[in-house]
Amino acid sequence: MVPGPRGRNLTGDYMIIPVRCFSCGKVISSSSVKFEEKMADIRKTGREPTPDEISREMESLGIHRYCCRRMILSHIDLIDEILPFS
Amino acid sequence: MTEQRRKAVREAGEYKQMSVTINTMSDDFIRFTVDGLTPSTANALRRTLMDDVPKLAIDKVIFHHGQIRDSEGNVYDSSLPLFDEIVAHRLSLVPIVSDLSMNFRDNCSCKGEGCPLCTMTFSINKIGSGVVNSGDLQPVGKSDLVPADKEIPIVKLGPRQAILVTAEAILGTGKKHTKWQVTSGVSYKYHREFLVEKKKVKNWETYKNHCPDSVLSENAERIVFSDDNRCTFLSQLLDNPDVKVTEDDTKYVFQFETDGSLKAIDVLDYALKRLSQRLNLLLDSVVGD
Repeated sequence: MVPGPRGRNLTGDYMIIPVRCFSCGKVISSSSVKFEEKMADIRKTGREPTPDEISREMESLGIHRYCCRRMILSHIDLIDEILPFS
Repeated sequence: MTEQRRKAVREAGEYKQMSVTINTMSDDFIRFTVDGLTPSTANALRRTLMDDVPKLAIDKVIFHHGQIRDSEGNVYDSSLPLFDEIVAHRLSLVPIVSDLSMNFRDNCSCKGEGCPLCTMTFSINKIGSGVVNSGDLQPVGKSDLVPADKEIPIVKLGPRQAILVTAEAILGTGKKHTKWQVTSGVSYKYHREFLVEKKKVKNWETYKNHCPDSVLSENAERIVFSDDNRCTFLSQLLDNPDVKVTEDDTKYVFQFETDGSLKAIDVLDYALKRLSQRLNLLLDSVVGD
């Protein structure tokens, strides 16, 4: 995933996916890992996931509220970028 | 306040016996109906569910700094790509299967020093490279109190990096910190009824077919629906001027989910007991004797 301008995103400059949703407190990090794996599988077939597929995957992971969905959708993982410098 | 006085206070108000019915239930989700509530008590129950149900969460993390050696004598560095504070914070948010028979540290016989009655200890010992997950938290002592979710990424380790920490989990409530909040998405709505005259609304049968569980009663002239158990198709009835919608502000449909540290039914059970304690506490401080 390509970071946006200066690598900033909605959920803040978090290097790694936040454990819980900022608004409601649901644990979303484990679902996020599964979600990203699913999306990577789809991208391997040479196309971007469709909104329908994204929505269906969110439902199957039990991420129903939009506060939790934005945590996953807007997150950019930067920990691999800083790993060589620690 | 005496029991007699308390009874008099109860009878002076419109006291109604509360009843709870469970609509849907799984380990981490519950939807239930409470009858005989006032709007303020309904909100009190919501707040009790959110911030007065205790659970275990990591409160103290001790990091080992310096070199870490494995069994073959390889040397690893204890520095991490994230600050220790961030790692400690991430560890604290991990839901841990909780045992409510444990003591709060403030009320424990050890007088706040920390003992097996009020403290649960965990350790992580992992060498890189790789991801440290919440499943790497090894319980020391009671082996049934483990992280409820084992796939939460805590931190990533590069080659020649290792992590060695000890963590202490104690009981607390959501009042103090979200890490002790068992429930999420606690919400309630009035019990709502849709009275449909079969003569006026011709397509009433479509609603019945889409939401067969939502039918409360039916006779030759009319059919009554309720959206207590969510059926999105019924929302079209709200815009129909021929449908009579009534809401009952003494009957509430609640729903919430838990993070896995406690079962939903146990949370509800605790919250209902705690609610009456809280209300009596208020009554005692307001009325006096």
